[in-house]
Amino acid sequence: MLDINTAESVIDHGLSLGADFAEVFVERSLTSAVNTLSSQVQSVESGIDFGIGLRLVFGAKVLYGYTNKTAVDELKRIMIELAAKDQRDPRLGLVAFDFSSPEERHPATQTLSIDADVESKVAYLLASDGAARAASNLISQTRGMCRQKEQHVEIFNSEGCHTRDVRNYIRATLTAIAADGQEQATGMWSDGGLLGWEIREHVDPKKTGDEAARQAVVNLGAKACPSGRMPVVIGNGFGGVIFHEACGHLLETTSVAKKASVFHDKMGEMIANEAVSAVDDGTMVNEWGSINIDDEGMETQRTQLIKEGRLTSFLVDRMGAEQTGFDRTGSGRRESYKYAPASRMRNTFIEAGDAEFDDMIGSIDRGIYAAQMGGGSVQPGTGEFNFAVTEGYYVEDGKIQYPVKAATLISTGPAVLKEISMVGRDFSLACGMCGSVSGAVPTSVGQATLKVDDILVGGQG
Amino acid sequence: MLARDQADQILTRVLDSGAEGDLIIDQGQALSLKAKDGELEEHKVTSSQVFGLRVIKNGRVGTAYSEAADPESLEALVHQALQNASYAAVEANEKILPNTAQLRTDDALLCPIDTVAIDAKIDLALEIEATLSAKPKVKNVPYNGVQDSMGERQLFSTAGLSAVSRARTTACFAYALLEDGESNAMEGRGQVSRQFAELKASSLVDSVYQNALDMLAGKEIASGRYDVIFDEEMLPSLFQVFGMMFSGKSAKDGVNPMRDRLGTKIADPRLTLRDNPLATSGFGYALFDDEGTPTQNLNLIEQGDLTSLIHNSMTGSHFGLESTGHGTRGPRSTLGVALHQLELLGGDADQAALTAGRTVLITDLTGMHSGANPISGEFSFGASGFLCEDGARVQAVRGITVAGNFYDMLRRVNLIGAEQHWNWERSALMPSIRFADVSISG
Repeated sequence: MLDINTAESVIDHGLSLGADFAEVFVERSLTSAVNTLSSQVQSVESGIDFGIGLRLVFGAKVLYGYTNKTAVDELKRIMIELAAKDQRDPRLGLVAFDFSSPEERHPATQTLSIDADVESKVAYLLASDGAARAASNLISQTRGMCRQKEQHVEIFNSEGCHTRDVRNYIRATLTAIAADGQEQATGMWSDGGLLGWEIREHVDPKKTGDEAARQAVVNLGAKACPSGRMPVVIGNGFGGVIFHEACGHLLETTSVAKKASVFHDKMGEMIANEAVSAVDDGTMVNEWGSINIDDEGMETQRTQLIKEGRLTSFLVDRMGAEQTGFDRTGSGRRESYKYAPASRMRNTFIEAGDAEFDDMIGSIDRGIYAAQMGGGSVQPGTGEFNFAVTEGYYVEDGKIQYPVKAATLISTGPAVLKEISMVGRDFSLACGMCGSVSGAVPTSVGQATLKVDDILVGGQG
Repeated sequence: MLARDQADQILTRVLDSGAEGDLIIDQGQALSLKAKDGELEEHKVTSSQVFGLRVIKNGRVGTAYSEAADPESLEALVHQALQNASYAAVEANEKILPNTAQLRTDDALLCPIDTVAIDAKIDLALEIEATLSAKPKVKNVPYNGVQDSMGERQLFSTAGLSAVSRARTTACFAYALLEDGESNAMEGRGQVSRQFAELKASSLVDSVYQNALDMLAGKEIASGRYDVIFDEEMLPSLFQVFGMMFSGKSAKDGVNPMRDRLGTKIADPRLTLRDNPLATSGFGYALFDDEGTPTQNLNLIEQGDLTSLIHNSMTGSHFGLESTGHGTRGPRSTLGVALHQLELLGGDADQAALTAGRTVLITDLTGMHSGANPISGEFSFGASGFLCEDGARVQAVRGITVAGNFYDMLRRVNLIGAEQHWNWERSALMPSIRFADVSISG
């Protein structure tokens, strides 16, 4: 995408300004979005993202700039402006780029550049809409969305790295609204992955519509959620957002290097219940959070974060490795050329255990079953997190009693990790978008159904 | 090539294809500085541009955008927008307005010349980090920065509209992590201005430090129902989260729960809320919207009655109304609606009356993007603040949740304060409201 002589000239220029490290990140992405509403096409949108990110590192200081222009003079001008306060004796120039093409772990066939196939996406979304409306006459509205992205990246750096990658993302979502008089409630179902529109062979519009409608109708009849400290069983798949928020962000060297994570000095220590083993894995074939290489050009890997309760690894990008001394884990990610890379999660999950669902529910005198989770957030410095329950049930005397609404779970990472006492067998992953210092990146969360013995539930009851 | 010339070429192609359309060209430059351990940790300089085209052909609307400005990409931009339109359902209400105005915002007000050297901006970033770091119990200041940005939006249409708006924003922020034995707390805040010289490190540092110091001693309170006051930052955030209740677009789409409530009582009779884009002291100040329609001050809730939703030309036409000057469209998005800057009129309660007895003052809410359902009004957020007796802060509170239904709360207003305050982003001007009987879990 960028002439190699231009890249070489720009990187050499960065080194001539005295930078310890120079990098050029080039991105050209195609995007497409098909939206349906009220059982018809609402909009079809598409676009081209293009830009070049320039990173210079002077010691622990990162200088970053970007532009939409490709002229060598413009790229050098940005570097000069960036380094105006840091210029020093030149470093040795670049020897030569050593081009390497990553192993393609995530094949895609129906990519955006081949065919956006809008008709087929419209047909899928309208079939999902029809299924939701057929599932219940309480469904008053649906909103469908199918987003596809084809991201081409090319990375050059002063250590001779020259590599390219293509990431194909697809995600389809249906939101259903159930209404009964003045009461309204929502349900949502989503599928996605690191592949093309061939995902349609694996997704069923009837299942999508049925599930979105089922959630909406359940929530329509939900009662106020009890509040206070109690045990909570958290469902599989997107329930893994608890680990993402409670622990994952705190293991990124973005926080660790600043000592802004409560786990920054806990390597090798028991930080969780023995029932907890956790992984961040970028290699899982065609999964939403997977990559071939990270946004610093390093091949991705599977990283064991916690083994039977003991902290075994952080998520480490280049700057994190420089600052903490830990080896890089292929975790340097960014939303686009507009962001310097930072250590970020990929597919992050708690490994399956052997507990039975009925035993988890049966062990609760008074608590909550959080079947579906929404998003959340965390403050890494203190580990305080929150996340929303989007489908929940009150549990009493070991039995699920009735649906509850508007519940939030809050705790701290260190506390909740020690309260996970049972992990089930029904492992699954779910798609999400994770926002942090280097923008919003696709990440998967996952777990089997698990039990937290004690956590604060915020409800209206 | 000048943006105007590029726009002419693109819109000529649109007209030649038998369509009409409008084009947004956004351009911007930005500077971002962050400090760590007394040194500059990050220095970011950026420049960007993006073209966003909307076409309407045979009543069908299509949009496309491009960050690449080479002739091939701009050719593809037109082709894609027209192709996207061919798939869309006919939307008879969406039209390119017959607006031939030549509009331009006031640079002296919104984009003043700022000749402050980069050295001064670096010094401010270093000063904020160093001053906060030197205070007792501060472990570090992991998130901090100074930002300066200038953005320009040019809007052209096939009807002849030309609208240019430019704005400068300069800001600083800091989050301090404090530790005291086993206790820790992290709090942050920001400042924003049009002029760098108006940023004050000392007031930022003092407020961040005091908030974090207070929260070091924070603990849970017993679960129960309390009278709650959301401070000048959190009350606007609540209205923002549930802003869909005023959206004419959501009403048209059938998801706005207030769509059939116009003219009815939806709030306490003492509550009057308006969108006030013509207040120059706010950062939501705007003379025209993204369709080139003049803005206006608009009462949304008047003495408890829902008096208006916000509309662009399309949603207004759908309901047989005029646009209220709330059309919004970005280069990457379709035509929507958005509030400019909310103003909640002051009530009659002085500070003593407002804070009489026991109240919980909420100074921070977490999980607002995930814990709220604007369709039902239900919410449950993590929260921190203070337990107060007759206005005196008797205990810092953290690790609690606050839950309820926002639409019900609007009818359960206890008192409305007399004094209005801007939030730090200067996007909303509101007094404090005391809500009765709010559920808190601790």
